[in-house]
This record gives sequence, C-alpha cells and structure tokens, in this order.
Amino acid sequence: MLVILLESMGSFCSRPQSINKADAEENAQAAEIERRIAQETKAEQHIHKLLLLGAGESGKSTIFKQIKLLFQTGFDEAELRSYTPVIHANVYQTIKILYDGAKELAQNESSSSKYVISPDNKEVGEKLSEIGSRLDYPLLTKEIAQEIKKLWQDAAIQETCSCGNLLQVPDCAQYFMENLERLCEVDYVPTKEDVLYARVRTTGVVEIQFSPVGENRKSGEVYRLYDVGGQRNERRKWIHLFEGVTAIIFCAAISEYDQMLFEDETKNRMMETKELFDWVLKQSCFEKTSFMLFLNKFDIFEKKVQKVPLSVCEWFKDYQPTASGKQEVEHAYEFVKKKFEELYFQSSKPDRVDRVFKIYRTTALDQKLVKKTFKLVDETLRRRNLIEAGLL
Amino acid sequence: MPQYQKPPSWKLEGGGQVMDLETFVKDGILGGGGIAGGGIPGAGEKLDLKKMIEELETVGEEIPTVFICPISLEPMVDPVTLCTGQTYERSNILKWFSMGHLTCPTTMQELWDDTVTPNHTLHHLIHTWFSQRYLRFKKRSEDVHGRAAELISALRNKVKGQARVQALKELQKLVFSHQSIKKTIADNGGIALLSSLLGPFTSHAVGSEAVAILVNLSLDSESKVVLMQPAKISLVVDMLNEGTIETKINCTRFIEILMGEKDFRHEILSSLSLLVGLLRLVKDRRHPTGIASGVGLLKKICSHKQVRNLVVSIGAVPQLVELLPNLNPDCLESALQILDDLASIPEGRAALKDCSQTIPNTVRLLMRVSESCTQYALSILSAVCKLAPEECASTAVEAGLAAKLLLVMQSGCNPDLKHRSAELLKLCSLNYTATLFISKCKLTRTIQ
Repeated sequence: MLVILLESMGSFCSRPQSINKADAEENAQAAEIERRIAQETKAEQHIHKLLLLGAGESGKSTIFKQIKLLFQTGFDEAELRSYTPVIHANVYQTIKILYDGAKELAQNESSSSKYVISPDNKEVGEKLSEIGSRLDYPLLTKEIAQEIKKLWQDAAIQETCSCGNLLQVPDCAQYFMENLERLCEVDYVPTKEDVLYARVRTTGVVEIQFSPVGENRKSGEVYRLYDVGGQRNERRKWIHLFEGVTAIIFCAAISEYDQMLFEDETKNRMMETKELFDWVLKQSCFEKTSFMLFLNKFDIFEKKVQKVPLSVCEWFKDYQPTASGKQEVEHAYEFVKKKFEELYFQSSKPDRVDRVFKIYRTTALDQKLVKKTFKLVDETLRRRNLIEAGLL
Repeated sequence: MPQYQKPPSWKLEGGGQVMDLETFVKDGILGGGGIAGGGIPGAGEKLDLKKMIEELETVGEEIPTVFICPISLEPMVDPVTLCTGQTYERSNILKWFSMGHLTCPTTMQELWDDTVTPNHTLHHLIHTWFSQRYLRFKKRSEDVHGRAAELISALRNKVKGQARVQALKELQKLVFSHQSIKKTIADNGGIALLSSLLGPFTSHAVGSEAVAILVNLSLDSESKVVLMQPAKISLVVDMLNEGTIETKINCTRFIEILMGEKDFRHEILSSLSLLVGLLRLVKDRRHPTGIASGVGLLKKICSHKQVRNLVVSIGAVPQLVELLPNLNPDCLESALQILDDLASIPEGRAALKDCSQTIPNTVRLLMRVSESCTQYALSILSAVCKLAPEECASTAVEAGLAAKLLLVMQSGCNPDLKHRSAELLKLCSLNYTATLFISKCKLTRTIQ
C-alpha cells in the first residue's frame, strides 16, 4: 500500500530535482499515517459489535462479567478486591429493604401478625435500617455481621423475603445472607462467584473486546461487547450505540413475571420487558441485526413457577398448568418462549423475517451454561457471516 | 509364468465391452495363483454361481459382454456352444430349439449339427470372475458393518468437536452407500445415541449431521416419541431456518416422519418459527427440491385446523398465491390444497380476497393442469366470490372465469365439480344483464 502511494505520489510530483528533503519526508510521513488509518479501518470492519440490552436487573452485567471471565484474563486480585465495598453495600441494602418491608407489611397486610419483628430484634433492625439509608456504608465487621445474621433469621424477615416480589428485594439476597461469615472476614477477597452475584446498577456504557478461541486454538471472530444500564432513565443513552451492530443479546429475566419495576412500582416487570423488546425490534437500524434472546434467571423461574402461577402476569393470563413438578416447569417455559416468539414475529415486518432470531435458556450465574450458550451464539454468527459472504 | 505378449484386444462381433487381458491376469482369473474355480461344473457350483450373480446385481458392476447370453442378455450360468461357435445359456438355446428353430440365433446360420457342447472354459472364467467380485463385496460389506459399529461406539464414548462431526459425516456416507447399515445402526443402539445428541446445546454442525442420518433410518414408535421432546424440536426448527438446503430438507422430512406417529403432539406445529421457516423454504426459487419439500409439509400441517390461523397470520396466503404460476404440477396441487384449507377459516378468506393475484392466478389454473387442481381452484374462487360478490365476481369475470366455468361444465369431470361450477357461474352472473354476461362468456348459446 505504501509502495502504491509513493508511486502515485511520484507521478504527481513533477517538480524538478530541487524538491527539498523536508517536503519529501513530510510526504512520506503522511503516507505512513494514511496507511495506518487504512489498516485500522480494515481491522475495525472485522470486529463484530454485540450489544447487551434489556430491562433493569435482567442479567446483562452478569453476562458481561461471565464473558470477561471466560474469554479474557478474568479478574485479577485488585479487581476482585474492588468488589468488596459493592458486596458489603448489597448486604446493607438488602437487610434494610427486608426490615422496612416487614414493618410496612405488618401495618398494611391483613395477616399482619406474621410480619411483626420479634421485640429483641427491633433495636438492631432500626439501627441497620438507618445505616442502610446512608450514602456511605461502614465496614462490615464481624459484630455487625452477627447482628445482621440474627435479624435475617427472624421469622418475620423470612416471611417478608418469601413475598419479595412486592418489594425490591434483589435476587442476590439469599446468597449473601448465607455467606455472611465469609464476607465479613478481615482479609476477605471476593470469589468469582461473589463477584457474579454482586449487584450494581450499571450507568453509562461499558465495553470489552474479546475473541472466543476455538478448540483448534485457531483465532475466532473478534467481538466487542457493550453493556448498558437497563433502567428507564439509562435507555436514552442506548441510541448512540445503535449503529453497525452485528447482534443484540437481549436479556429477559423470566422469573420476574410477578415483580414490579424499581423505577416505577406500578409497572409489572414482564410487561416492561415485553414493551422494551417490541420497541427494540422495531428500530430501523436493526433491520439486518441478529437477535439473540436470552431467557434468563431460569433457576429462579424453576422454583417460582411451582408456587406462583404464570397467569398473575397479564401477558401470560391465558396460561393453563397441565402437570406438576419438572414437567410443569418445562411446560411453563415453553409457554413463555412461545409468547416471546409470537411477539417477535408480530413486531417484525415481513422484510425483516430473514434476520436471525434465536432463543436461549440461560442462568447467567452458571459459568458452564454461559460458556455453552455463547459457543452456540458464536457458531450462529459465524454461519451468518459465511451466508452473507455467499459462501454457504 | 509364460510371458504373454499382449495380444490385440478381443473385439466381439457388434463391438462390445473389451476384455482387459491385463486385468484378468492380474486378478488371477486366467490362472496363476488366482482363486480356484471349479473344473467340471457340478450342480452345487451352478447354484453358487446363480446366488452370486443375484447378489452382485445390486452392486451394479459392469459384466464383460462375453459372459452374457445373447438371447436373455443375462450372465450365463451354464454356457453351451453350438456348431457355429456361438455360446448361449443352455436353457435358453434349448427353448429356442423346442420352438422349432434349428438356426443359430446370432449368426442366423442353419445348424448342421444340433448338439450343444458345454463350454467349460467360459464357465470357469465366469465363475472365477463372479467369485472374486463376490468375495470382495462380502469383505467390503463386513468392513462396512464393522466400521459403522466402530463409529457408533466412538460417538457413544463422547468424542468431541470436529472428530464428532467427522464421525457423523462418515456414518452418513455409509448409510447412503450400503442400505444394510441401517439395521446395524439400529442393532447397536445407534438411534438412541443419535437422538441423545440432539439437545438445547447441540451445535448446528453436529445437529445437522445427526438429523441427516436419522431421517434415513426406520424409527420405531418409542424413538419417535423421544424425538418429539421440545428441546429437540426447537433445535430442528432452528436448523430448518438456518441450514443449507440439504439440512432444511432433512429437517422437513424429520418433522413429517414424526407427524406420522399417532401420539404426535400437535402443539409442535403451532410454532411460528417453524411456519416462517417453511414459508421461506417454499419461496426460495433457487432450490426446487426445497420448494417441493416445504409445500409438502405445509400441506400436511394445514390439514390440522388449529394451525390454520397461525399460517394465515404469517402472511402465507399472498406469498403462496404469488408462487402459483411458477410451481410444477405436483407442488401446484399441494399449494392449491393449502390455500383451499386456509379458505375454510374467515381470516384465510379475507387474506385471499385482499391479495390481488388470487383471482387471476386461480382462474388461469382452471382446466389447465389436472382435475384436482381445477377442483381446488374452483373451491378457492367460490369462497372468495361468496365473501365479496360484487367486487370479486366482476374481477373474476373480467379474468375470463365465465368461459372457464363453462368449459368445466362441458368436460368429463365428476358431477359434483360441474354442479359447483354451475353455482359459481350463477353467482357471477347476478350482477350482469344476460346479454352482457353472454358476451363475457364468448358463447353463442344461451345459458340457463
């Protein structure tokens, strides 16, 4: 490329031999820069842009972390330690929500007696509630952890937790409460699993570049993955990312069919996801984009669907349970899957029917599962590439 | 071994396959370490030879012409020579004699001597040739069966990645080349194994090979029920949407095979992904085999009432109508049947009416291809015209419907068809005066 540039330059410059050296050097430099730009543009074209979209708490950031663990160097000790304050914050937030929630339910609910905190836990409860409302949380010491543990084991708190759908109890609540002893140790370094459970509301955009190396150790495609915030006020930032996207990984937490939004407690989360998915599908910039729908939080869904009927969600109101146990779970899952399929085909104009649309059942916290799922996503995208290049 | 000068190749009368002397020497058929044939043909040997000839027929190897009886054109089991020097199968030439002919069939010469002499040399050659080929075939067969069993146990031992795909590809090739492998696979638990390979995390590469093999095996009821699991069906539907044309056709066949099972769960068919995939297959002009496959399955699907609504909702009606002019007769009949089935629901009728090509395309097909096509086309037209008599009837008449209906009524087709044509004709004529209508029919006679 450099040679061609120089040659063509040579034919332009018909000045006599007195062309001064500085000019020639300048030209050479310019050519070098041109060459570098051309190279990088070419390289950029081979990078596939993947976008993680979805409502708040649908599991996008967890998937993001998993990809980091699987295909990059993972988290080093410094990064792991950086999550300690987040995890401690999660603990304080959780116990506050539970305590405040129990108090509220004790006042309003008809069978209020089961939400009444036992008297010897009340003082601790009030203290923790106050701590949880601060902007900065204190260090999680063994003493505080003991108090939290005691409160957690209160019958009223347990009862409150089981109707967590009415409050904004995060999904990591159980996990962190059960691991309190470990979390409060002086030299605590979060494990990978702890990091995956840690909950921070993403704001802005985060990106990583990675290449899923194939089993033959041949280099695979290069992907750039973008993670965004899912809450409503974050969504206006999405539009800046919408150009040139190879595939959208849309995360929908299917376990939240009975929960309300964090940013609007009157709106059912599943309905919000439905509308959001519909909106994304209709964007004109995604005409040729592949859609990978991750029906996430299947582990929670599994347990919930046997206790809370799907029909509590308006979208699923025509659901009829047929069996029970594992078969019922499968049946319920297939129902939800079909609903999303229907939505996809209704929202896609006929000229978009050719884009790739696949549904995957995921549990973002399970690394093996995410790895297997991503292998399939990768295969699909590579095939798509070949088909578009006319090679298949 | 005496040195043979390669003689000029034997040329038979009327040209024929030249016997390659070198190959025969190499194969040992002409003696020198080859497989021993018999000396004097005995009854036991003849049977063997007959059996070998039969089994080797399937292999399709070309038999040297000198071994073929000129009368029956079959390889000779007991060759005998006449005084003219021509050789025939004993039973055939004797039959020829018994019919009163005393001539040599090929040279047409009159025979001066009616004795038939057994041709030991030729018999020996034929026997040896067939024996060699037979033994080779048997060995290859065993090899093949052994290889198939090997592949199946390799797959069972969870060989991964590319190796797995390669094993499946090889197994598929074996199934195609040797029909008898199917039984070997079934006996070795191959069906259950292939079935277990299909799941939510199966890659496209593995899945497409497994399905390609499965559609060629005979599956029992139990296996089919296992294959109906939602996760497996999801995978097959995905591959139907994304695979190569061969994969798509295999997936279509797969679902058809399952549909034949009495415990088939019809909810499987209410999958939008499946229907959209099939429709895409049907529209793909580059692959006529794909169109035939897709139309066939779609026809079977539309015979189930519950799914018809979904089929209409994905826009199948206008797309099928637009395809009609380009389909070959078999696909055409199936496509018309689909549209007829869809016309039985209100949404289908509405879609047919809304599509501008419905009337012209169906009118054109009346009395053009076959009676069943005419029947379906008529049924569709009746449905559309009954839905919106004013606009549709006039469009239809402008497209030449009236003349075609008269043709139907005058043809030799079944009475029911004629009756329906008459009804439709009456319906169409309602908005016209008699004279105007007759002119539209281009008739000279009055109609009732």
